[in-house]
Amino acid sequence: MMLAKYWQVTKTSWENGFVYRLNFLMWRVRSVIRLLTVYFLWAAIFQRTDGFLSYDKAAMMTYILGTGVLATIVFSTRSIDVGTEIAEGDLSNYLLKPVNYFAYWFSRDLADKLLNILFVIGEIGLIIFFLRPPLIMPTASGLIAMFLLVSILALVLYFIFSFLVSAFTFWYPEHNGWPIRFFVFVLLEFLAGGLFPLDILPPVVFSLLRLLPPAYFMYYPLQVFLGRLSFWEGVGVVSGLIFWIFLLAIVLNLVWRRGIKVYEAYGR
Amino acid sequence: MEDKRFLNQIQRWRVYWLYWLKSAGLTFQSLMATRFASVVFVVGKFFRFFFFLWFLLLLKERIQTVVGYSVEQLVVFYLVFNLFDMLGQIFYRGIYWFRNEIVSGNFDFKLIKPLSPLFQIMTSHTDFLDVPLFILVIVFLAYSMRSISFIEIAGFVLLTVVALMLITAIHIMVAAIGVITTEVDHTIWIFRDLSMMGRVPVDIYTDLVRGFLTFVVPVALIFTVPAKVLFGLVNFQALLVTVVIAGIFYWLALRLWRYALTQYSSASS
Repeated sequence: MMLAKYWQVTKTSWENGFVYRLNFLMWRVRSVIRLLTVYFLWAAIFQRTDGFLSYDKAAMMTYILGTGVLATIVFSTRSIDVGTEIAEGDLSNYLLKPVNYFAYWFSRDLADKLLNILFVIGEIGLIIFFLRPPLIMPTASGLIAMFLLVSILALVLYFIFSFLVSAFTFWYPEHNGWPIRFFVFVLLEFLAGGLFPLDILPPVVFSLLRLLPPAYFMYYPLQVFLGRLSFWEGVGVVSGLIFWIFLLAIVLNLVWRRGIKVYEAYGR
Repeated sequence: MEDKRFLNQIQRWRVYWLYWLKSAGLTFQSLMATRFASVVFVVGKFFRFFFFLWFLLLLKERIQTVVGYSVEQLVVFYLVFNLFDMLGQIFYRGIYWFRNEIVSGNFDFKLIKPLSPLFQIMTSHTDFLDVPLFILVIVFLAYSMRSISFIEIAGFVLLTVVALMLITAIHIMVAAIGVITTEVDHTIWIFRDLSMMGRVPVDIYTDLVRGFLTFVVPVALIFTVPAKVLFGLVNFQALLVTVVIAGIFYWLALRLWRYALTQYSSASS
């Protein structure tokens, strides 16, 4: 019964995605353009070289196309609107209802992710068909299972991380919290490993970045997918993800409670 | 008679200048009213600029050339991209607010004023937040191009005018599509995403993509060709073709805009 209402939210969000078809299609077009930009850049770099640090062409092309899939699984979100709801006072509507606000948005996010995954499979399929890049595909079922586990944990971690960013709006409601969100987007574009694998960075920088949450959004799941981690390194990644999920969940809980205290429902 | 027409024209330009000053002043005041947000935006823009620059410099340690260009040349391509991208952002930011004007019917108020509605729409939110980085990019570009010839500078100045024409034309087309379909946000963002393909020379793309970026959405003409002229890689014929395409593009944009105005339904007003 508890889960039924959230399942209904997921279903409604799924249907909602089909109502604004042009909107969604345009969003997908933009995602493909962004992916192709990075893909062609790396393809050009590999025209004159067989390897870039520890990556050969197949590994790098797989990594870059993999970021397209990972971006869909991890970063696709509707909960980005939470900041607007706080800034415009719409959060009050939920505080009065018998719903868990986090679970509500997680349910909406799931529908959004499913819809985007459906499209990204077709898009990546077309890119592979037309551009025929060399690819590395994992064959071991254990590796695939580990990749799925790490991706799901990364999805949960990003959800909590994104909510923390939105929670900032309690204190700075200017522009519906968009400035901080923009800043975080800029950081994630590079620190999550969307443009390049983080281990091509200088060792000192990499040794710091590899410990932070953004590295778990894209870089680590793709390292698992490419089979570049040993079993115990994979276990380390899962442990790191669980550690960050618990830590950020505790921080979010504290921040949210304080935020609700300062929330004044402006605009209501 | 000629003198009177000339004076009228001067007077008209003065009105536009005063209008822009007033509207830019108001935008600046609103940015100052939300200082924290403004600072975060500016810092974010700097981070984005330096992160990609850093990435290019990282390449330098590992590879000699990318599609025949040295990494130093790639940096110049990136600087030119930022220069023209920000020019559009600074002066034509108003396009991001245009959809709201269309769906609310408030565009009516722009149409009844004795000023070009296009000018009012596009210049309504001059983005001063891009100015600090814009200045830095000019300094970097001037430094990296300190030893180029007069001919190359003249070519670059000409192509700067061409790039401005094309950027203006694309924004006019986006506004026109907005009037016809009420869709603006995604259209302008798709242009922005395609523009990002101009961070590097378009030579890295396949023939089909390069053709698209030259003749359909002329990202190549806006960003790549001006950078190439700085290296003496554009001959006179190519320069001429670029100017002609820009002229055609601008003319088409104005035709589309005029057509779009006949389709405006003043919904919700």
